[in-house]
This record gives sequence, C-alpha cells and structure tokens, in this order.
Amino acid sequence: MTQSQRRVLPETQDPDTGGFWEGARLGEIRVLECSSCGTLLHMPRAYCYRCGSWDNHWKAVAGTGRLHSWTVVEHQVHPDFPTPYTVVLVDLDAAPGARLVGYLDGAPELAVGQPMRARFENVDDDVTLPQWDPA
Amino acid sequence: MSGDDLAFRDRCAIAGIGTTDFTRNSGRSDFTLALQASLAAIEDAGLAPGEIDGIVRCDLDLVRHNDLAHVLGVRDLSYMGDVSVGGVAPSAMVGQAAAAVIAGLAKNVLVFRSLNGRSGRRYGRSSATQSKVGGNNTYDEFFAPYGLLTSGQIFALIAQRHMAEFGTKETDLAQIALTCRARANANPGAQMHDRKLTLDDYLNARMIASPLRLFDFCLETDGACAVVVTSAERAKDSPNPPALIRAVSQGAMLDPQPGVQFPVLMRDTITTLPAKATADKLYSRAGMGPSDIDVAQFYDCFSITVLLQLEDFGFCAKGEGGPFVSSGEIDMGGTIPINTSGGHLSDGYVHGMSHVVEAVRQIRGTSTSQVPGAQTCLVTSTPLPPGSALILRAS
Ligand SMILES: [Zn+2]
Repeated sequence: MTQSQRRVLPETQDPDTGGFWEGARLGEIRVLECSSCGTLLHMPRAYCYRCGSWDNHWKAVAGTGRLHSWTVVEHQVHPDFPTPYTVVLVDLDAAPGARLVGYLDGAPELAVGQPMRARFENVDDDVTLPQWDPA
Repeated sequence: MSGDDLAFRDRCAIAGIGTTDFTRNSGRSDFTLALQASLAAIEDAGLAPGEIDGIVRCDLDLVRHNDLAHVLGVRDLSYMGDVSVGGVAPSAMVGQAAAAVIAGLAKNVLVFRSLNGRSGRRYGRSSATQSKVGGNNTYDEFFAPYGLLTSGQIFALIAQRHMAEFGTKETDLAQIALTCRARANANPGAQMHDRKLTLDDYLNARMIASPLRLFDFCLETDGACAVVVTSAERAKDSPNPPALIRAVSQGAMLDPQPGVQFPVLMRDTITTLPAKATADKLYSRAGMGPSDIDVAQFYDCFSITVLLQLEDFGFCAKGEGGPFVSSGEIDMGGTIPINTSGGHLSDGYVHGMSHVVEAVRQIRGTSTSQVPGAQTCLVTSTPLPPGSALILRAS
C-alpha cells in the first residue's frame, strides 16, 4: 500500500490531542506534561489528575523506546489495511508511562523489550504519522 | 462487611430466564429476538407479561424500553434503566434491577440483551469508515490510523504481553477453547454442539491476530437472552427454584483511561483487567471468596480474556493462569468449572447475558453440564474498560 492510498487518517485538530500531531509534522514525538507538577498526561487531557492544574504544555522527547507488545494481523478487517501487517506498542524511553502505537508492513521478527526508533511518515500536507521501527 | 452489603445480599432473585435460539442468521429483527427471550423469561417466572413494571437494557442494544413495554402490555412501566457499556453491562444490569426492586421502584424487572451480532451489526468489524478518525475524547486517532481496529487485536496485544511476562503458552489458550467446546458438545442449544475440537484443530486453524487463532475468538451470534429479577420473597412463589442474587459489583482500575476500548492499552499494566477491582469488591460484598464459588461463567469474548479473569478473580495468582488452565482446573471436576453452556466461544456471543442465564441453570440444577450440588455461581462481565460481576446462590 502506498501512502497516498491510506484513507484512515487521524483527526489532528482536537483541542486535547492536536499538539501531538502538530509535533509530528515537525518531526517531533511530543507528550503532554502538567506545568505545575510535571505529571505526564497520557492519553492527553487538559486537566492534571494528580494536582488539579489546567496548566500544561507539549514537550518534545527522544524518539526512542522499547517494544511493549505487538500483534501480526492476518485477518483483514479494513480495506486500507491488507494483511499481514504488524501493530506495535512502544514504551517511550524518555517519558515513562507514555506508550504509542505503530504500524509495520508484513510480519517482522520482534521481541518484547527490544529497542524501537521513531520514523515520521508524511502522509499528506496535513498529516504526519509517527511510526516505530526496530532500532 | 458493611450494613450496605446486608441491605442487598440475597434480597432479590432471578425468578425467570429465557433465550432465543443462537444462530448465524436469525432472519428476525433485534426487537423480535428481544421479545421472544422476554416472553420466555416472564413465563418461566410464572408471571403474566403485564406484571412486569421495570425494564433494564444495555446501552448498545437497538431495542428500547417502550418497544417491549407496549407489546408486553405493561400496565405501569415504573422503572427504566440503561447500563453501559456493551459486554461490561450484564452483571450490572441485574444489579440495577435488584437495586430498583430493593428501593421499591419496581416489583418485577425484565433485563434483556438482544443482537443480530452476526447478520447485523458485527462488533468484530472496524468502525473506522470516515476519512478522519478520533477526536472528542475518543482517542481513536492514536489507534485506527495504525491498523489497530478491533477488540480482538487489543486482546492479541495483551496475550502477547502475557506470554512475554509470564511464559504463557499457546497450548494454554487452546485449553480454554477446548474446554468451552467440550461443554458446548454437551449442550444441544449451543451453536458448536455437533462440532468437536481437538488441539490439532486449534493449532492448525488460521491465525487472526497473533498469537490469537480462529478458535480464540467468540462466535458472532444472532440471539437474545432475558431474565426476570424480583424480590426473594416473591420469587418463592415462582415455578422454579429462585437464584438468589448474593452480590453484584462494578469496578474500574485507578487508571481506567478514557474512550471506549483502545486507550486501555495505555494502562501501566495491560495484563490485569478491571476484573481485579470488580472481584475484590464482589467478594467483600458477598462475604465469600474464590473458594466459595462452585462454578463460574467467565466473559469469553476471547480465550485470553478468561485467562486474565481467572487470575484477577483470585482462582490462581497473577501470571499462573496458563499452568492453571492446562492442569484441568477449569474442566468439570476441576477447581472451578467454567462456561458450562459452551460460553461465548462455543455456545453463542450474546454479549455476557447468556452467562447470566447459564448461571441460573446451574443454581437450579438444570445445566447440560451440571456441577453436582452447585450452590454458588460466579458471572463475570469484565472485558476491557470497567467491569461488573455477580454471584448467584441457591436458597
Ligand atoms: Zn499536575
């Protein structure tokens, strides 16, 4: 599948999560952090569940992580995702508690805990998908 | 134990149960299925349809309270409840019905779940049809664009992680599928009644989302189930032995995460479900523990879901679910026989409500895989987001 054929695209303008996608277009992995107490707010929400602050900011972190889990999808459920393909869950090295999803073509050899590195897939002028490759 | 526990414990009972047939193509509307199951449950309770005065439905059901109230000839619809969400709802639906009875809001409450889950809306299909997905606190934008589209794929990621953390084997998952199939083979109403399943069949079946294969997945089903909840006192007059509602609980974990299902993959741990919190509360309210449970109906949208719940409900330690199931502990005669109708894996997926019906059969002594002398039955409705569960007991 070429990138231009991909039709399932993320909403990038949501008030709570848009900053993540804005960062992706700039080639950054961003996480939302409470400006009062530093708590990681993931999934991104405008309110800090730890200290009650509404004050937060997006922080760029290193695009490296560890593989938390993965699955090779062999039963196709969507026309845009021919099988086999692999979905990865990656724990960010620089932001403990933050985990992101990635897509890999085919069925690469993988192991839980292995290092992963971010890659930025420019889908169109508006959307860049952060992806994760074995490092 | 608190006084609140005693205010609920054994005060209500399930007096009637009813189901439709479970098929791949009912040829009937969701409403017709709901009505057929409801009429059967009301008759089983020894009531006239007009005596129903409360109805509890699941939020995902297409059938509404008034749809049923009209055709049943309900004279005075006094209580209408909706419980979220999907497969998390069934035990809590019974709990809500019992709470309404105890509070005096209704006397005889019909609880139903109806779906054309195979021929109609299929939950195993991706719902990502729009050009842009996510936003509005669904967080789907972090998942669907990467091809993470179904509950089965979520549980595949969980199963892979459980294998890595604890050494769980594919043959452990197989044991759950085989056990449910053996129970279905004894149940003439089960969709898989006539089809044996061997370990070779299981291992040779196609992979859906690794490490989960075809028979790790439940049977998308057309069908409906209903039960009638009333006071323990009134239930004594019903034709069948009442199944007393010992306790009900709902629970979530400290970091439940938002959204419908995909963000659960962002929890600190993905190998413990909200089942843990739900179970702890349930046992406390019941004044019972795992060793007091004679038989259980575990929510089995997938095999791995059962394995996690066996751990979270305390039948074995966290991480030991694999060896536990592979040593026969969930079989008839084991520590905790499970899913005695065949479960969602081999009877039919009626989104957790068929488990409530089968639990009542166990308490009545009428299951096709009856646990001799069963006095207590656990029902779990604890897949991904929050959870609910209940314990029934004989009077
Ligand atoms: Zn804070």
